[in-house]
Parts: sequence; C-alpha cells; structure tokens
Amino acid sequence: MVLFVTALMVEASPIIEYFRLKKDMAIHEFPVFRNSDIALIVSGVGKVKSAMASAYLHSVYGSKQEDILVNIGFCGAGSNRHPPGTMLAINKITDMDTGKDYYPDVFFGQDLPKESIRCYSKPVQREDAGENNDFYCDMESSGIMEAAKKFVYSHNVAILKIVSDYLEPQNLDKEKLKGFVREQVPQVEKIISELKQLNESYGGSSLSVEERGEAEAFSERMKFTEAMKQMLLKEMKYAKLRGKEPLSILGPFMDIKVESKVEGKKILEQIKQKVK
Amino acid sequence: MSKSSKKSNNGMFSTIYVEERALEYPITRQLLERYADCPVIAIRHYKDVFNRPGQHFAVQKQNQSLILAVKERQFLYEGPEVCQNFGHPNFYYTSFLLNCVFDCEYCYLQGMYPSANIVAFVNVEDFQKAMKEVLPEKQAFLAVSYDTDLIAFHSIVPYLDYFYGFFRQNQGLLVEIRTKSANQSFYREHEPLENIIIAFTLTPDEVIEKYERHTPKLQARIKAVNTAIARGFKVRLCFDPIFIDPEIDHVYEPFYRHVFAQIDPGGIMDIGYGFFRMSGDFFKRIEKIRSRSLLYAEDYCMDKGVLSYPLSERERIQREHMDILSDYISKEKIFAL
Repeated sequence: MVLFVTALMVEASPIIEYFRLKKDMAIHEFPVFRNSDIALIVSGVGKVKSAMASAYLHSVYGSKQEDILVNIGFCGAGSNRHPPGTMLAINKITDMDTGKDYYPDVFFGQDLPKESIRCYSKPVQREDAGENNDFYCDMESSGIMEAAKKFVYSHNVAILKIVSDYLEPQNLDKEKLKGFVREQVPQVEKIISELKQLNESYGGSSLSVEERGEAEAFSERMKFTEAMKQMLLKEMKYAKLRGKEPLSILGPFMDIKVESKVEGKKILEQIKQKVK
Repeated sequence: MSKSSKKSNNGMFSTIYVEERALEYPITRQLLERYADCPVIAIRHYKDVFNRPGQHFAVQKQNQSLILAVKERQFLYEGPEVCQNFGHPNFYYTSFLLNCVFDCEYCYLQGMYPSANIVAFVNVEDFQKAMKEVLPEKQAFLAVSYDTDLIAFHSIVPYLDYFYGFFRQNQGLLVEIRTKSANQSFYREHEPLENIIIAFTLTPDEVIEKYERHTPKLQARIKAVNTAIARGFKVRLCFDPIFIDPEIDHVYEPFYRHVFAQIDPGGIMDIGYGFFRMSGDFFKRIEKIRSRSLLYAEDYCMDKGVLSYPLSERERIQREHMDILSDYISKEKIFAL
C-alpha cells in the first residue's frame, strides 16, 4: 500500500486528482482519500499532527514494513539555490525542538536534488534565518519520521519537499502552489514505482497469497499449532525454491481427516519427508 | 553540511555520512575529495545512522553508503570461538571497517549488524596506540580483516599502507589479513614481513556464482595468491565455508585439484577449513531478509547456539576432502573447525 501524508488540502488536491482518489466517508478523524492501492491523509500543520496522521493511516490501511510512506509538502528555502517549484528528496531531518536527527534511506529519484531539512514548530520568517541561511525548513517531516520508524523500512519513507518560498510564507498564492504540486506528481508516481520495484526484488515471501491461504486452511484442518503451521510454510517455501509446485506437496494429504494434534504432527512429518 | 547532488558518477556509494569530528582527519578529506559528486551528510555519531531501526540489509547492500567515523573505545576484541585461532592462545581481532564491499549470501554480518552501510574509522593512530597498550608482550595473533575485506577496500582506503610500518615495528604481532579480493597492489607495493599472513579464501566458481556476489572469480583469486607467494608473503588458503549440497558436493574435488595444479603447495603456509556455520540468532535475522534464499530455507543442526550441517555429514565430507588435500599438503598444516 502507498500511504500519502500531506499537511494541507492545497498539497493533497493535485494528488487526489491525478490518482483519482475518493474520499473515505467512513473516516471522520482526518480527511482520507483512497483507491485500491493508495491512501492519502490530510494531517493539518505541525509535526504532532503529522505523526498522529501517519500512525493513524498506517493502522487503518498499512499492514507491513514494505508499505510506502510518502510525505509531500512545501518547504521554505533560506537561499535561492533551488527555484520555487523544485522538488527535493530529503535525506536528513533535524527536529529543531529536540535536536534529534532522522535519516531516511533515499534510494529513489537519482536525478532529484538531495537536501537536509530543519523541522520547526512555528513558521520561519526571513528575519529568523540568521547569517547561515542556506537551509530548508518545514513543520511536519520529523513527526512523519518518528511515526515511520515504527512501521516501515527506512528506504520506504519518501520525504519530498517542494520549495514554495524564500522564507516569505505570507506571500503565497494557492493556485500557484497547487500548480507546483501538479507539475511534480508524475515524478512522484515514478518514485513510487521505483520503490515498489525495489521491494519486489528483495522482500516478501516466496509464497503467493493463494499458496499461503491454502497452507493456512490446510493447517486448520490438520489441527496444526501455530508453530506447526510455520513449519509447513517453511517446507512449502523450500519446495518452491527448489522449483517444485508448493501446493502439490499437500495434495496426497488433502482428503485425510485428523482428530488430534498428534495425528496432525504425523502428517507434518510425512510432508517433511516428501519435500526432502 | 548537506550537498545537493546526484548519485556519485562512479556509483560506489549512495551517500557519504561524516561524523562532524571526523571531518578534519586526512582520510576523510581525501575521500570527500575523491567522491566529490556523492551526496554528503554531516552526522553527530555513526551509530545514529548505522543503528537506525527499520533498515533493510539486502536493499542497502545494493545501495551502500559510506560512514566516516572516529572510533572511541574497544579497539581490540578477543577472537570468537567460531573462528580459527590456528593454535595461537592470544587471539584477537580488530575492525577498522564494519561491513564489506562484497555481498556473500552466507555472510554472518547480515545478522550481526543492523545496517549494510560501511563504517570506515578514520583515526588510525588511535588503533595503533590501543594495540600497543592491550596486546601482550609475547606473541599475539591478530585478525585485521574479519568483519570486512581490507584488501578489497584497499583502493578506497589503504588501511594496510597505514599499518604496514606499525606491523613491521611490532614483530610480536602475527597479523592475518583475510581476503577474497584479486587486488594485488598491496603485495606489489610492500615487502613481505615475517609477521603478516595473507589468508585467501578460495571457493569453487559454482559457489562464487551461487553465493558470493561481486567477488572475483576463482582464477583471479589464484592469480593474486601466486603474486603474493612470488613476492615472498606468507600465504594461508582458506576453504571456508564448505557447503554440503547435492548440487555442489561434486565440484570440490576438481576444485582442489585445480587449485593445487595452479598454486605450488610448497608456497602455502597452512590451510584453514570449515563448514558453513552461523549463530542461531544471526540466522533467524537473515532468514527474514533473505526470504528467497535456499540457503536459509534448509534445515540445520544447532549445537551450542551455532547452526551447521549434521555432525555425521560434516565428518563424512571432511574425510573425503582431507584425503584429497593430503595429496598436496600434510595434515598437520590443515586447521579444521
């Protein structure tokens, strides 16, 4: 599942349009939009809200560490190294209240500029920047990272920040901002596809959903304990890695009825012998 | 310091993380100059990056980053029981580097470390000072390339160049440098020392193909072995790990015969021999990230927390292998675990 977190509707609406997401009317705590593969939550401004929203979205729609968590939002720029509208892949986040640093693994978007960002509790104005003003700032990223580290792999978090202004947040135009996001959404789609590919190459079980489902139903019929079910899955995985059809090893035992765990244990032993 | 950049052109490292206190060390300066187009991130402590939760070792391995750090304490460790001490009672190891540029499927580091990124310690003088303080006056056996491959990393950081003079001055140290690398520059650029052993891990090409990604082929390793012997270095051959697998068992005899047809057994100091084995805890962690690996889907026997093949199988295969090896080298020179 791909989980998007944005602070504002102005950041969310071009994504909702592009991926044709529909509002989830069953959820009232946050505005949530979704399709079969994507869920987007609008958290509100600030790191506490972004952490809450990330955790909430993952608890409702996420299920595994391979889920992809994308934060798209605007950032202020202390310098004019990147023009407004540029999307940055963030590789270091410093929470300016706690001093804590977060490091997502950025293995996507080879052509995107990679930058660090400072996460503040309040909007930063030009006069707050001081002498060393070559930095980027936002108000959500550290909250998202704090939540993300509990749920997803560090390479599956994409903190994407679009430069909105040079620390003059009062002069922002909503339509212009939407245009910045709209322009970057195809690139975001590409990033998601890169991450999915990465996860498919390395992660997941070698057994398909159907094979796992069959194994679970079989385990129940055979009165297997949880540990025995795991052993069966291991045998099936081994068979598959050896080029055998994993469900075929269950074939001869499908019609057997067992009355006790002891009988089930004997069946498991026979399956193990068959796989060897 | 955060440098906006695309991935390094040579693709060696995804990112270079640098501890703030490591910035002024010469190794750091040289590396940042050499990999100038690689994104650089300043960090407070290497563990902030290396020990993060949620890292995926196998994914990181294909996108390795380099972490430049200053080692603070415990520069030497006592040798673990699962490793060969080759008869030396004072067995230590040290790690200038954590992790390796190679990607061996059977490597225990995947279960030992939370990260696949390479940590390179830049304060080499502190290591030398600690070695002098800790190591006993009598001879000690020091493995310097256990949790890494220093020769393979030699073209990135030539640690062995930095330590060569120190090893020459401290003859009480018997230093083992274990490698799978075909890089010959160390043997060509330095005179052999009585107290340096180059321990080459040699494996059949079928095993290299199956389990040792990014490592040199057997023939390239043999060439490096012969260069080291010709230059007068003490050379140890390591046939470790040995796998017991119907698809592989038959390749060992032609492999041994080929090795000793190419390498003069008279030039070999001794041989290390051992089967695939791993701490049960490491195995469990790796099983999760290598979910498609046949190696981690097999059943093994557990003995004192270490997984390996059943003893009877090991004894049978070892007997067969020893019969072949004894055609070339006396059994007293073969150290088996």
